[in-house]
Amino acid sequence: MTSLSLTINGRAYGPMDVRDELTMNDFLREHLGLTGTKFGCGAAQCLSCAVIVDRPDGTSHTNPTCVVAAIDFDGLSIRTVEGHAKDGALTALQTAFVEHFAFQCGYCTAGFLNEAQVLLERLERQKVARGDLEEIIGQALDGHLCRCTGYVKYHQAVRDVILADPGRYLV
Amino acid sequence: MRPTRREFMTWVGAGGITLGLSRLALAEPVAFLARETLPGPEGWNPAAGGKGRIDGVAKVTGSKLYASDFRAADMPGWPDATAHGLLVRAPDATHLFTGIDLAALDMNARPDVVVTAAELQRAGTRVPAFYAGDLFCPVGQTPLYLGQPVALLLFEGFDAFDRARLAFRDRRLVTFGAETGPVKAPNYGAWRFTRVAGATPEAPDIYAPIQEGWISPGYTDSGGRPIWKVLPTAAGPAYAKGATHGEEIRAGLKDPDPGMLVLERAFETQSVDPMFLEPECGLAWYDTGRETLEMVLGVQSPYEAADAVAYLLGEARAPWRPAHIDAQFAYIGGGFGGRDHTPFPLYTALAAMFLPGRPVRLAHDRFQQFQGGIKRHAFRMRTQIGVERKTGRIAAFAADHVLDGGGLANYSPSVAVVGATGAIGIYDIPKVDVTTVAEHSRGVTAGSMRGYGTLQTMTALEVLVDEIAAALPMDPIAFRRRNALKTGGRTMTGNPYSDTVRAPEILDRLERHPVWRDRGVQKAQAPAGILVGTGVACVTKDYGAGADCSLGTVEIGPDGRIAIHADAVEMGNGIGTALANRVALHVGGIADRVTVAQVDVFGPLELVTSGDSYSITQAQQDEAARDPRWVPGISSATSASIGAHVGTQAAAQAAQIVYRFGLWPAALDLWGIGPADPRAMLWEEAFWQDGHLILAGLDPLALPAIAARAHALGGVTGAMAHAFSRWSWSRATFNLPGGPWSADIDALAIRRGAGGFVRLERSAVDFPPADYNRIGAAFSSMCGTLVRVEIARATGALRIAAAYSVFECGQALVPEVVLGQAQGGFAMGVGQTLLENLPAFEDGPGNGQWNLGDYLIARGSDLPLHALEIEILPPASPREGPKGMAEVVMIPVVPALLNAIADATGHRFQALPVTQAMLKGALQ
Repeated sequence: MTSLSLTINGRAYGPMDVRDELTMNDFLREHLGLTGTKFGCGAAQCLSCAVIVDRPDGTSHTNPTCVVAAIDFDGLSIRTVEGHAKDGALTALQTAFVEHFAFQCGYCTAGFLNEAQVLLERLERQKVARGDLEEIIGQALDGHLCRCTGYVKYHQAVRDVILADPGRYLV
Repeated sequence: MRPTRREFMTWVGAGGITLGLSRLALAEPVAFLARETLPGPEGWNPAAGGKGRIDGVAKVTGSKLYASDFRAADMPGWPDATAHGLLVRAPDATHLFTGIDLAALDMNARPDVVVTAAELQRAGTRVPAFYAGDLFCPVGQTPLYLGQPVALLLFEGFDAFDRARLAFRDRRLVTFGAETGPVKAPNYGAWRFTRVAGATPEAPDIYAPIQEGWISPGYTDSGGRPIWKVLPTAAGPAYAKGATHGEEIRAGLKDPDPGMLVLERAFETQSVDPMFLEPECGLAWYDTGRETLEMVLGVQSPYEAADAVAYLLGEARAPWRPAHIDAQFAYIGGGFGGRDHTPFPLYTALAAMFLPGRPVRLAHDRFQQFQGGIKRHAFRMRTQIGVERKTGRIAAFAADHVLDGGGLANYSPSVAVVGATGAIGIYDIPKVDVTTVAEHSRGVTAGSMRGYGTLQTMTALEVLVDEIAAALPMDPIAFRRRNALKTGGRTMTGNPYSDTVRAPEILDRLERHPVWRDRGVQKAQAPAGILVGTGVACVTKDYGAGADCSLGTVEIGPDGRIAIHADAVEMGNGIGTALANRVALHVGGIADRVTVAQVDVFGPLELVTSGDSYSITQAQQDEAARDPRWVPGISSATSASIGAHVGTQAAAQAAQIVYRFGLWPAALDLWGIGPADPRAMLWEEAFWQDGHLILAGLDPLALPAIAARAHALGGVTGAMAHAFSRWSWSRATFNLPGGPWSADIDALAIRRGAGGFVRLERSAVDFPPADYNRIGAAFSSMCGTLVRVEIARATGALRIAAAYSVFECGQALVPEVVLGQAQGGFAMGVGQTLLENLPAFEDGPGNGQWNLGDYLIARGSDLPLHALEIEILPPASPREGPKGMAEVVMIPVVPALLNAIADATGHRFQALPVTQAMLKGALQ
């Protein structure tokens, strides 16, 4: 057992003792009841389990949770799908996912949402040329698997959020 | 308006267990309800403005929706703690199973309860016929199939479960003894479909299954294979008659006259996994005090799942027999057929019954889902096609199909039939002879999956059609057009399609599209080292299962708010939104609440059923129909391909009745139009626009005002209906206030004002004739696909440069969802063609070692995300209803890709998948 403290969606959890082998996915889903983060493969291949890890320097990245021990998240601050909307107000990205019919069954949505949110925040810091946009979105989302949609509408939703506010994301 | 849990439709299940089924969380506290009912009592309904799915907000905020999201603590009234079950499966099916090595587990990984075949025998459980075969392989026997469960381990705590799960995955804790070889078992079914057309298209068929019935051979050889030849002692004249015609067709193909071009090819398709992203999961609690088994499940067939559990436990001895079963159904994280009639709910129920008083969660991880989940059938096919050189007309077609059904029958017989009767695709062929046999093997059980046999047989057909067109030579699209079935033409079983046949129109679109038109230029301009090819395919896919049921309720409140309840399951296909949109056509507004996967609120219909609707005789049906509450079936499984057509039928009919007998009389009252006024009969002329009912020359009326008046007048403010289709809808007449009403439903209850639902007697009913069970398919939609590929000669790497799919689906209830289904179908077709593959036996998923990484599905980078054009044809007429489309959009992608590869490389692959390594090999 190892002591674990972390911040999830702005709320502090711990310190608490957890089993060293316990995956972060099981910690979220079984211990905390945060089932918005999904379990898909347990092999870091589908990324439906990905959460956002916020670094101290203000940057962020996504991390799978299904093959990573919960104790490896000690001291970290993460965001999950439950933490995007504030006071019931959806983010622009969430709204775009809904309005574009981006998902069908929705089981992969949390992973796509987290990955695309990280992309948006990265582009805010490092704007890109319009001509490179499709390729950048493609690269960002490509690790995420979806069996229902064929990915087209996810990509369109992300692109349209960016194009709706070009001064924020594009050079 | 909202029903409560106490309004369960209950009926006596097998063995006297009362059974209740409901939408998950139906009567939970408001906070919970807000997450569960879509879009939520006061939530934003994105569908109302045409801007999103009705379940959209829940899915982007991580709400608890799926069966795998729920734990005991989420369920009001349940104990807080959740126990866990581990289903241990056999990774070997050629040796005697000798046991599981629990002693090898660390003490902190030991189960609290172990359930094996011996425990089931003590308990007196039964296996439902559909799942015939041991639920657990008994010690001392060879497993029936790879992945057959051998034990269910139950753990009070999560940590012990988690340790044991990993130990069983990574170590050899299931032990085996002497080698026996695989268990031999009879095939799951064998049929022969033969049709010989008359001299002219109008003439009666000389022989057709719809006239003569379906036939099966009476004999098998020493290896268990059917003997298709006509033997002197053939079993019964029916087979001999059909087979004689079939053998004549084959003789003609074997020894054709010079004017006939004949090609014969073998083609094999692989086993694949549906790979829905949410592995199967269930939560169950046997409340010993109430003797009630509570279950939370995520399946495509809720009614069947609960019924199967009731049968499983119906004759069990105390304390393993519940008095009541209360099953609740959650959203599912993908299905694609793989959650339709899965045995998983049986094991979930056993977990609870063997750990009484403790809620138990049984959840596959991905390794287990690969090892035990339903697969797509691998097909081996041999096909002959004969074409008149002079006319380019297909004169004869013969094929032999062998399906690997894996360890349990499941849907194998049905998949064999659908694959066989779909084997001639869009074509009008006067002489057809197809045999099919679904075999048992030691592989993982195969069952329903998108495409359902026709993906396999139409792929073989469409690559053969392309090859023979080239051999004639003839343009591939012109050849298809020359042979395409026209409206009124007969299918292989001898019946015409009941709906429109639009293959010629689709072929025209394909021919005009730039991907096709410019194929020569693209090929000529290929960069050095790149091979460019363009492929085409056009297919048809039946929708409907020949015994489709639909339950739906539409209610409107005095404020104009609309609620819909239906039994269809949301599997990502947008059924909730489709229901809302189809109902809105009749009642002028998008529903505020749509509740799906619900079979508990239709009690007022007082439905009863008996017999098997697939095998019932006309006399039996006529006798049963004397009971005014009888219907051929109550609720059936949901598949995306029938969601629009079947899943919305009852609700749409109910909505029409609410309009005609509730809203329309109220509108007349508001307009001051009396019953003698001729305008009182113009209810079909009026239409809804922006929430207002409009009739020429009168002030538009807002829906809330009409609804309020309907309530004040005591008009019909709610209707509850049941519909049944056997390739034709049941049709009945009911005496409504205001006059008789005939509709494509067979049971109806109405609510007047704020009153409760009251069943109406049907004054007449026509059920579809029992003979319609001889139809292969009567409802069908069509799709064509063009693909241009670029293949690197040096590496075999393939890139899909551009693609176009065009299809028809009648009225698209939610065009955005239809488009998404087509895009998803394209992706799944790419995976089937180029990526996905499961070896059949010891190296395959049954060994428990498979996961994503080994098993590849299409990623975004495998697809032409910015060069995939989808065209949805408008309905053939304004009155054409919705047609199923979720399966057909996947199928042509596979042969179109293969035809494109052939165009690029000159090599025709005759087996799937075609991997990069195979392409590289073919190019060297």
